[in-house]
Amino acid sequence: MINLSHGSGGKEMDELIKEIRARLKSPGEWKGADDDAAYLGDIVFTTDSFIATPLFFPGGDIGKIAVCGTINDLSVMGAKPIALSLGIVCEEGFLKEQLLKIVDSISKVCEREGVPVVTGDFKVTEKGKLDKIMINTAGVGKMVKPLANSGAKPGDAIIVSGPIAQHSAALLAARFGYSPIESDCGSVKDRIFSVIQDINSAKDPTRGGVAAALNEISEKSNVKIVIDEESVPINSDAKAVLDMLGVDIYSSASEGIFVCTTQNPEAIVRKLSGSAVIGKVESGSGVFLKTRVGVRKIHKPTGKLIPRIC
Amino acid sequence: MITKINEIAREIGREIKIMEVCGTHTSAIARYGIKSVLPKNIRLVSGPGCPVCVTSQHDIDCMIELALQGIHVSTYGDMMRVPGSKSSLDDVRMKGAKIDVVYSADEVKDGVFFGVGFETTAPMTAAALKRQVAVYSVHKLIPPAMKLLVSEKYGIDGFINPGHVSVIIGSDVYKDIAAPQVVSGFEPENILESIYKLLLLIKERRNEVVNNYSPVSNEGNELAKRLISEHFKLCDSEWRGLGKIPQSGLEVKDSKLNAKTIYSDVLKNVKAKENPACNCGDILRGILEPRECRAFGKGCIPERPLGPCMVSGEGACRIVFEND
Repeated sequence: MINLSHGSGGKEMDELIKEIRARLKSPGEWKGADDDAAYLGDIVFTTDSFIATPLFFPGGDIGKIAVCGTINDLSVMGAKPIALSLGIVCEEGFLKEQLLKIVDSISKVCEREGVPVVTGDFKVTEKGKLDKIMINTAGVGKMVKPLANSGAKPGDAIIVSGPIAQHSAALLAARFGYSPIESDCGSVKDRIFSVIQDINSAKDPTRGGVAAALNEISEKSNVKIVIDEESVPINSDAKAVLDMLGVDIYSSASEGIFVCTTQNPEAIVRKLSGSAVIGKVESGSGVFLKTRVGVRKIHKPTGKLIPRIC
Repeated sequence: MITKINEIAREIGREIKIMEVCGTHTSAIARYGIKSVLPKNIRLVSGPGCPVCVTSQHDIDCMIELALQGIHVSTYGDMMRVPGSKSSLDDVRMKGAKIDVVYSADEVKDGVFFGVGFETTAPMTAAALKRQVAVYSVHKLIPPAMKLLVSEKYGIDGFINPGHVSVIIGSDVYKDIAAPQVVSGFEPENILESIYKLLLLIKERRNEVVNNYSPVSNEGNELAKRLISEHFKLCDSEWRGLGKIPQSGLEVKDSKLNAKTIYSDVLKNVKAKENPACNCGDILRGILEPRECRAFGKGCIPERPLGPCMVSGEGACRIVFEND
């Protein structure tokens, strides 16, 4: 039976996706099928589905995440997004004005990013068969510089483009009625392209957070990653909410930042305000965290983590 | 501090077994990688301070039975995946039973609340009882368990006493436990300092209680203690791995709100069956460390746990699995 852990961005989801992929057989000439996006020559293609509770939160809504998420997946592959598709499934009884509000939110992002929605689909299910709304976006892009997860090398620095775990904190604060925290939901396209020449691998730490993202880079590149806890930027209100709820900040989702590896950290940190060097790549395996007093391993997250975050 | 710890550990010479009782300490110790900086002759073992871990299989089976009977049940998230004799609360929820996961007893409006936890969470369950919510209580008290561990001579040289529990019960109650003890907070520097202070007591063989956590007073929190005594009475309690400990549990006073009384007909037929491959009992007594359990990492992993120590966020096995 499929359970919530299968959708959480952790180990169980990875294993299930491997199983599904094996049954779908070979993607032919397409590469990167297990990366953030697949590519054939310089065509890059990706898709993502979104559910979120609550639908509207400080800093965004499900529409904004849906388009930024796909724009970001293309961008962290090193591709300039060209177009999006938009698939919406609504539960019977969903308010039309809420739907249009979500569509307007999507439209604003598309206009700002210069990436249009060119095709789409709309369906309605009976009441009770879906929790309000589910959105799928697929995106097509043009490869500028391939940034595969296998591109990290010993000696590289690891950079995060902004404070981590912000989106999870925002949604949990909204769910539990704490003081509002703003999600970091947004596009990383312009920021990553401003420094792309200096990056050799990149990922957006959505479900499963920085822990999942760094473990993937570590596995695919066959390297060891060591993070210095004191260097990791996180907003104090986000940290407070997550600590209070006992949620691991490293497994918590962000929706508007990227992690990358580079041989030229000074150039990147100079150009990207809010970014920080958080660690380094070494030979070996595994992801480790240097705390104030000791060292521990950061495993790929498992279990339910936080459902309905994105 | 690490240098001072190393010095005194060297002076003591032999292997020193320190038990940190509280699950949150186990978690903080792992989270900050504290074991990685301690000298080799200090063995830090986790004690029975993970309330999920010490909840008996029989009690979990009872809650599952209530859920299967169509009763609306609420519980903290940790309890969902703990294996009962045949299934778990999570399994029966997926099959359609009405089970709500709550972060706080405040969220519970009706049905039966699974009152799990030590003296820290008991006051909030008491507040739910005040709101006339029915409760199946498995709340337990820390000091009787510590006394048992000392009397059974498991070779524990000293204890790091729980932080939050002590805020409620105060530090005086530990004075009649015959072992060196330090009440500690949760910041890594504070934990290291507590370990150092404990080593000093161990070296000088002083069975004293040192309070190293500033929110803790000698008497504890009077309001919380009053709430507990208003709504609960002492009872014998079944601790997984430790057996029955007299006067170590809290039973709901008002029989109209006590789920064990209300649903006694349903519950009297529940018979637990322990899994022989599960060694959580030995883990909880500090006899086995997680990696010494034959099932650790093989038959027992977080996705397919055999027992509660691998399920709970404060379970010794889960913490080792995720942090080492």
